[in-house]
Amino acid sequence: MTRVLVVEDDPQTADEIKAALADHGFSVDHAATGRDGLLKAAAEAYDAIVLDRMLPGGLDGLGLLATLRAAGIDAPVLILSALSGVDERVRGLRAGGDDYLTKPFDFLELTARLDVLLRRQAAPQRETMLRAGKLEMDLLTHVVQHAGRVVDLLPREYRLLEFLMRHAGQVVTRTMLFEEVWNYRSVEPTNVIDMHISKLRRKLDPDSAEPMIRTVRGAGYMLHAAD
Amino acid sequence: MRLIDVPRTTSFRLALRFLLLFGAASLALFGFLYWQTKHYVVGRIDDWLLREQALFSSIDRPNLVERLDAHVVADPSLERPLTLFGPAGQRLAGTRLNLPATVLNSMPHDVVFEFNFRQGNQDLTFRGVAHRRPSGDLMLVALDMEGPQAFAAVLINAFIWGGLVTTILGLAGAAIVGADAVRRIAGVTRATQRIVSGDLSERLPTLGRTDDFDRLIHVINGMLGELERLMQEVKGVCDNIAHDLRTPLTRLLAGLERTRRRSGSADDYVAAIDEAILETKGVLKTFAAILRISEAESGARRAGFTDADLCEVVADAAELYEPMAEAKGVRLLLASDGVPAMMRGDPNLLFEAVGNLVDNALKFTPPGGCVTVRAFARAGTVGLEVVDTGPGIPPDERDAVQRRFYRTEASRHTLGSGLGLALVAAVARLHAMDLAISDAMPGCRITITRAAAIRPVTTLSHAGLRIDSSAAFAPVSSPGSAPYVS
Repeated sequence: MTRVLVVEDDPQTADEIKAALADHGFSVDHAATGRDGLLKAAAEAYDAIVLDRMLPGGLDGLGLLATLRAAGIDAPVLILSALSGVDERVRGLRAGGDDYLTKPFDFLELTARLDVLLRRQAAPQRETMLRAGKLEMDLLTHVVQHAGRVVDLLPREYRLLEFLMRHAGQVVTRTMLFEEVWNYRSVEPTNVIDMHISKLRRKLDPDSAEPMIRTVRGAGYMLHAAD
Repeated sequence: MRLIDVPRTTSFRLALRFLLLFGAASLALFGFLYWQTKHYVVGRIDDWLLREQALFSSIDRPNLVERLDAHVVADPSLERPLTLFGPAGQRLAGTRLNLPATVLNSMPHDVVFEFNFRQGNQDLTFRGVAHRRPSGDLMLVALDMEGPQAFAAVLINAFIWGGLVTTILGLAGAAIVGADAVRRIAGVTRATQRIVSGDLSERLPTLGRTDDFDRLIHVINGMLGELERLMQEVKGVCDNIAHDLRTPLTRLLAGLERTRRRSGSADDYVAAIDEAILETKGVLKTFAAILRISEAESGARRAGFTDADLCEVVADAAELYEPMAEAKGVRLLLASDGVPAMMRGDPNLLFEAVGNLVDNALKFTPPGGCVTVRAFARAGTVGLEVVDTGPGIPPDERDAVQRRFYRTEASRHTLGSGLGLALVAAVARLHAMDLAISDAMPGCRITITRAAAIRPVTTLSHAGLRIDSSAAFAPVSSPGSAPYVS
């Protein structure tokens, strides 16, 4: 079972995060202060850590993160923060964070991002060929094939599909797509990403009644890996 | 503030300090003048005495006696005594001086000295020179000092009276200035108290002068005006938030109550919950937009400024919205001058602003219409524009649409929060850019520009390129364009 440590001082937020992660199938531990979080993270091997940026007492989120990294603990860390500035995000990632989520956030967004972090940790991306079901993507020649048929894609569609294929079987949210594929960090525009997905779907398997890219209600999309 | 407070006012103290300084300077000046004048007068007297003595010492005795006797006849006063004494101190010729023997015996010779004695009932002070002639006689040339001393006394008197009058006038002046300050500050205090108690339209009183105090009050009044405007805006925004959020919250509540009333199947509950979630997300999204506008307006995002290319931002936005244009049957064109439009900025916010503009333009352009986006850098300005062939915005609403929650009559029935253009305006202000809405005949043209120093390298290397707007129009993607994989 995947073990996640949540370091969050606000009891109500902590309870909700714990509930959301438990529902997602994670085993969750909680620490309310930076000190407690450091002790727990050092004592046990967690698969991921959800860390509030601002913590009471001497050790705040970034301080805790720096200490963890200095101690050689390399579990992926997702930083939660009420500060949304781009420079805040950069500072968080530079301190050793793996992802940054601004409060208030959607719990589906949180779990989807944790899934991505855990997957990234498990399988380093060194492959030159991505495969998902009938889909094949050659990362060197940029040729995409669906059931042996070459699919013509625009650059953005290629990157969209690449991201989906790298996270096949996982929920990816619209925010994640907007950040990773379009590379902008602001509120993703409503509907537009859905339209890009629809276009991509039509190109991949125009005839299929069951599209490979499935909509996950209220969360985002998932590339269905199995046939 | 009462008049008794006058001595405590800054003006009064300043005037007083100035008076003291002025007094000290006057004293020093007078002292210098007095010393110089006295030095000059005494010098002249001593010169005369020595000259006179030299003259008399060159004359032989019979002639001298004759001269002295003539002098006594001509000038019987004691103003310029000339006397020849015998070796024993007896008067031989000249002015009759009642000199005591002590004075006579202690006289230095051939140098100027000062001596006093009593003649009749007067105390007299003289300066004189004594010379012992070869015959043993003593010749004394002297001058009564009463005149020069009286002159000095007049000088000192004049200074004392002048100083007294100046001090009194100065104190009175300081008091008047202080009282003036007390009155003005009392007026400002009263006005401030009225403002504090809630009357934001109150302004501080001015005297219609152009002095520093009035200038300061003009600045403060300007600040008060801005505060009043902001307060009203905040109040307006609060009212609008309350009004705009009531609708979705009412809908949410109605949906939940309906679900509870009907108590249908589990699927009905799931559907109702999904609906409630969607509605709540919409409300949160509105809040997030308001917060981001405030954030942009506070200038906090300036910390994250980098070098951004507006051309890139505009191209990305056009690419993002292409499917939406396609779905609506509107052509979305990206016009390019081929010149990078570099500026300091937050690409994420700029992208969001352009996205909002394109989104709006697509929303209001009827099928078959056209939306053109373009970034430009020419003649010292960088900027971007979005032009559509929609109904346009009436001139009298062009300012209003930049305010939060404002919606034109035409947009009232379309989806949207009424925050899009407000965010664009806030982002423009954050980047010190001007937002202009004009008529594209037909349609609407929204331009955001900023006078910017383009990098010299860029201007030089592209100086020969198109500077006018004869831009190359290219559809963002067309059926004929080369796909990524071929």
